[in-house]
Amino acid sequence: MKSEILYPGAFPMVRVDLAAGEQIKAESGAMVACSPTIDIESKMEGGFLGALSRKFLTGEKFFFQTLRASRGPGEVLLAPTVPGEIVILELDGVNEYMVQKDGFLAGADAIVIESKMQSLSRGLLGGEGFFILKISGKGTLVLNSFGAIHKIELKPDQEYVVDNSHLVAWSATTSYNIEKATSGWVASFTSGEGFVCRFRGPGLVYIQSRNPGSFGAWIRQFIPVSE
Amino acid sequence: MTHFFPNALCFGDEFPASGSPCFVQVDGDGLTITFESSEGGDGAREAVAFSALTVSAGGLDHDHLVVKWVNAQGERTLYLKNPDVIRAFRQAAPDHLNAPLEQAAERVRQVRHRHRVMWAAVGGSVMAVVLCLWFGADLLVKLAVSRIPVEWEQKLGESAYRDFLTRQEVMKDGPAVTALGEMTQRLTEQIPNNPYKFEVTVVKSDVVNAFALPGGYVVVFTGLMKKAESGEEVAGVLSHELNHVLQRHGLERIVKNLGLLTVVAIVLGDQQGLVGIMKQLGVELLTLKFGREQETEADLTGLQLLQRAKIDPSGMIRFFERLSEKDEGRMEWLSTHPMSTARADRLKTELAALPKKSPEPFTFDWKHVQASLGSQPVAAP
Repeated sequence: MKSEILYPGAFPMVRVDLAAGEQIKAESGAMVACSPTIDIESKMEGGFLGALSRKFLTGEKFFFQTLRASRGPGEVLLAPTVPGEIVILELDGVNEYMVQKDGFLAGADAIVIESKMQSLSRGLLGGEGFFILKISGKGTLVLNSFGAIHKIELKPDQEYVVDNSHLVAWSATTSYNIEKATSGWVASFTSGEGFVCRFRGPGLVYIQSRNPGSFGAWIRQFIPVSE
Repeated sequence: MTHFFPNALCFGDEFPASGSPCFVQVDGDGLTITFESSEGGDGAREAVAFSALTVSAGGLDHDHLVVKWVNAQGERTLYLKNPDVIRAFRQAAPDHLNAPLEQAAERVRQVRHRHRVMWAAVGGSVMAVVLCLWFGADLLVKLAVSRIPVEWEQKLGESAYRDFLTRQEVMKDGPAVTALGEMTQRLTEQIPNNPYKFEVTVVKSDVVNAFALPGGYVVVFTGLMKKAESGEEVAGVLSHELNHVLQRHGLERIVKNLGLLTVVAIVLGDQQGLVGIMKQLGVELLTLKFGREQETEADLTGLQLLQRAKIDPSGMIRFFERLSEKDEGRMEWLSTHPMSTARADRLKTELAALPKKSPEPFTFDWKHVQASLGSQPVAAP
């Protein structure tokens, strides 16, 4: 499997080349186009209960797509729903990533996707919800974001503060605490940040340059209200 | 060339920020860390003695064992998650590492425990709220009902009452009406601070039934009066029905049927919309059924009222018992007032506990009243 990002920027697409017999999993609805040698199947990743918990707990789709090059080699074009950058990570079998629920686009067949419950404070205030995806295994992982993706590299014990709702993915070796953006409660909210996540290295943190919730609130004012 | 299976991540200045995958082996006096070569097999190897190491817990859920040491290139940090490696490390570690290892393990336990406690607290609170709503609903309903003015209740009952009577043959006068009037008067005289103007109507019908609407509107069918063997029996039913009104049972049922949101609206001061909401939802006053608790309450308060009015309360019990024994005729009163021996027994116990009062008989002759009913043409149901 070989993957390449086409049209990098706001409206990218991923081209994945599959050898005969190879398969990948992708978010349901992610396929844009593919060679005629590719078969599309839907699969409940992690079994029925796993899929059910993913659907109800993370809000992710119940089914994943499996794209299999069953009749010879071929290529698949994949794209996310929202405008925003795509990033390709190589998982080495030791690294694990936590991915916010809308961040997964596609991955090699060997990667493992699980729902994971966050702690109460992270779930309530982190902006990612109570359940996130934990992705491990060995192979290519394709993530998408809202806006541009920015990678933050943290050395051991190095800290970095990220506004909640801007997280896309972070390695399991990092840890984070939720805290107020400023020292006072009132200023925390009047500054427009509310709560922030203080990350501590080592590891990688991928953030998105736009906040989907804020964008939704902004666009709502332009939507005509029907009587 | 052997295939490389990493089991840990090593961090340091010359490694990428995501960490360098490595293979950690625990031996007698320290760790051997093997990195992957550029060809994919085993590459650089580094051995560290236990004496150079410090350990702690780390990672997102504090479930990694973090091992640190300093070598010529600077500080190295190893993140171990593989349980086999961690177990081997704990077994081989010398004494000076035991305390920090125990601390790290304790920290992991603490974090897990805290998470469990937090989630249990949240789960518990949610359960508590649900239970409060479940069991506190009755209290909330009573609170809402107590805020509805009697005038509203009367308006509500009156419209349904007038509507019902237009479809029925009402008995305007005669011994039955006079007798019922006497019973009503004797009973209502004994109600302290009565906010209701009770209106009792006799309707010609073979149906063995009587009912009360919110606001004090009571209907007694001639069928019930024919079935009764004495005026005291009818007075018992009447007393029971009056107490449904006095306890505002009808209103409670309406509020319950309309749901929690209405209750909240009423408690917060919006009683005006009640009639509108009822019409909207099609809540029928005449088909309202009282709950078991309400029946028991009306039974007991009804009994006490009879006692105060010096009407023989055993008539009430006798009538109930007789109706429950035989299933003859159209005993609709029974369908809405299911009799059980337990209920009758309860009334008997209650009656025994009340102070004995010598009953005063009614001025009418019950046989005469019943004869007057029998001579009337019976309306088709």
